[in-house]
Amino acid sequence: MRYWTISKWELKNTLQSRKFLLIFFFQLTVLVMMVFFFNGFMANIESQEGVGLTPSLNEFASLDVDDPQGIFKKNLNPEILKIGLANNDSSQSLKQGKLNGLLLVQNTSASINYLSPLQSEILIDYSDPKRSVVRDEVILASNKTASIISQQMIDKIIPNSENINEPQIQEQTTGESLPMQLIKKIMTAILLFLPLFLFGNLVVDSIVGEKERKTGEILIAMPISRSYIILGKSLAVIMTMAIQVALWIIIMLVAGFSLGNPLLVYLIVIISAVPIVGITTIVAAYAKNFKEAGIGITFAYIGIVGFLIVPALAYIAQQGNNISFSTMTLVIKIFSGESLRWGDIIIPMIFILIISIFSYGSAIWLFKKDEIVFGPRPGIVKLFMDFIGITTIIRKIKGF
Amino acid sequence: MIEINSLTKRFGKITALNQLNLNVKKGELLGLIGPNGAGKTTAIRIISCILHPDQGQVLVGGYDVFKNPLEIKSMIGYLPEEPNLYERFKAYDLLKYFGELYGVPKDILYPRIDELLELVGMSSRAQHKINTFSKGLRQRIGIARALIHDPEIIIFDEPTMGLDPATAITIRDFIGSMKGEKTIILCTHYMDEADSLSDRVAILNQGRILDMGTPKQLKSKIHGDLILKIDLNGSEKFLVDDFNSIKSLKGTENVFLNGKELNISLKSKEDISDIIEHLNSNIMAVNTKEPNLEDVFIQKVSNFQDE
Repeated sequence: MRYWTISKWELKNTLQSRKFLLIFFFQLTVLVMMVFFFNGFMANIESQEGVGLTPSLNEFASLDVDDPQGIFKKNLNPEILKIGLANNDSSQSLKQGKLNGLLLVQNTSASINYLSPLQSEILIDYSDPKRSVVRDEVILASNKTASIISQQMIDKIIPNSENINEPQIQEQTTGESLPMQLIKKIMTAILLFLPLFLFGNLVVDSIVGEKERKTGEILIAMPISRSYIILGKSLAVIMTMAIQVALWIIIMLVAGFSLGNPLLVYLIVIISAVPIVGITTIVAAYAKNFKEAGIGITFAYIGIVGFLIVPALAYIAQQGNNISFSTMTLVIKIFSGESLRWGDIIIPMIFILIISIFSYGSAIWLFKKDEIVFGPRPGIVKLFMDFIGITTIIRKIKGF
Repeated sequence: MIEINSLTKRFGKITALNQLNLNVKKGELLGLIGPNGAGKTTAIRIISCILHPDQGQVLVGGYDVFKNPLEIKSMIGYLPEEPNLYERFKAYDLLKYFGELYGVPKDILYPRIDELLELVGMSSRAQHKINTFSKGLRQRIGIARALIHDPEIIIFDEPTMGLDPATAITIRDFIGSMKGEKTIILCTHYMDEADSLSDRVAILNQGRILDMGTPKQLKSKIHGDLILKIDLNGSEKFLVDDFNSIKSLKGTENVFLNGKELNISLKSKEDISDIIEHLNSNIMAVNTKEPNLEDVFIQKVSNFQDE
């Protein structure tokens, strides 16, 4: 079990590195902040007022009102309109652009008594871009006022109208709306899977670093196979991820997130880390230097993120019983408290197994090639030809 | 102990080793010399199972590099040309790490680390990080690392390259102290080093062994009691003319032109005056010396290139 020696020392060195610890705890701090703001956001979105995603319109426009009874004025929205009392200077202020509108309302009690239409007049400057806001708000207030006056009239005709049984609709809700599911479940799942994408640099450092620092030569000279070198280094990174994911789950549980079965969720996330590290290892095994590895990992991670999130979104949007390859979908199903079928677990796990075998197999195959480790490194086309055996056939034909 | 037959290794279109044959006896110190790109490092990397051969057979301690690489690696202590060690490790931890990778039991490993640190004079720096060490100190730790599992075979690739003379002497003495106890392959550019340390020397060029033997045997192939070194003046054409004319003179055994330096093997000092008279005004400086390994090396490599 000498690959365990590599894992042990890689993990030990990682956890002893001040730079790594700084990054590690910085990640945790960012998570705490994300959880805090996410919780605040969810509290707002679940409240009656909802959450305003548009810029604030507080006292966006100014309106002077002449409403002796005040019945109209009280239905205007004071959060959007800065309401003032109309006076002799109001018309002048409107012309000068200091005021956005002037509302003149006739005596409402007289109108109600004689059942005549309620007259009001709004003065706005047509060159003022805020005029539409003023007009819309006044129309809104007008509709509300009309409803109130109508009710007052009905009250006069039928004094006990309050006792008339109106049809009552009581709303009882189950489940969550699609936007809420998208936000809550996808966001929670993304937060959980995020640490898996934060440690790619460890894989790169432990494999590309061996090439760049030329320490790989003495490591390969050890009585340990190259397969074990790759597996040992990958295991150390997976263990680091496991520590971070465990801490993230604890923080999320403390913050009140509902994760269904946290232990099962943890296991699934950590199992998902295996092929992700495997794919990163392919990139690291092939890359000549850190820069190349960085570019390669960016491409690889875009693909992996897409593969995880898109099926999860499709699952939520369709609300179907489809079985997904993505472990993120599986985690979301656990969040939802759905009863899992065997297929829900087995299919993603088989997929993970296949990707893991392929990725680690490819990384080991690459790392076993002398020209990959010591150069001159062959191009991807030649490697592919080697991989599928064409190069061997050509060599046999040529006779060497 | 080490037997290499018809070994070939290619890197793309470059043939680094071409049908190489070599054998090293148990307890022998074999010096491997050759110009840059001769294939020395490739050969020792294959022996150490770091590289895979394309063709041929390599047996180390009876094990085949194709079939039993792990057994071979356990027998070998390898010190590469550059002492590239893990910068973040402390000296003691580095030796502990490699000791564990070699599978050395803990009860043997810890005293062995102390012993080796003492041996390379690094006991006081055991808890210092590698990145604080000079190249010489790194090389010492590198040697300790290569010996951590008490290997039967030790391979040194340019162990004194780039070191100050005092450190180089220390390391040469250390290698010399292991002679007879261990089977050693020493790759070096320094002819004096190979001459003084090696039981046998192999001259390698373009992936082939040009000659092999004890330093004395190789030097005797120079055919002469002394070597006359003449620094010449003049254009390339004149140099070639001088070179050709000297070859025809009586008493000259071997004549080589190395840049503007003419090397002539002579049987007796009496022939010197004829040569100086023949070259006349083209001479800038004249020296005589006994043949050494460098002369053998230059002669062999020049002959090979002429062919």
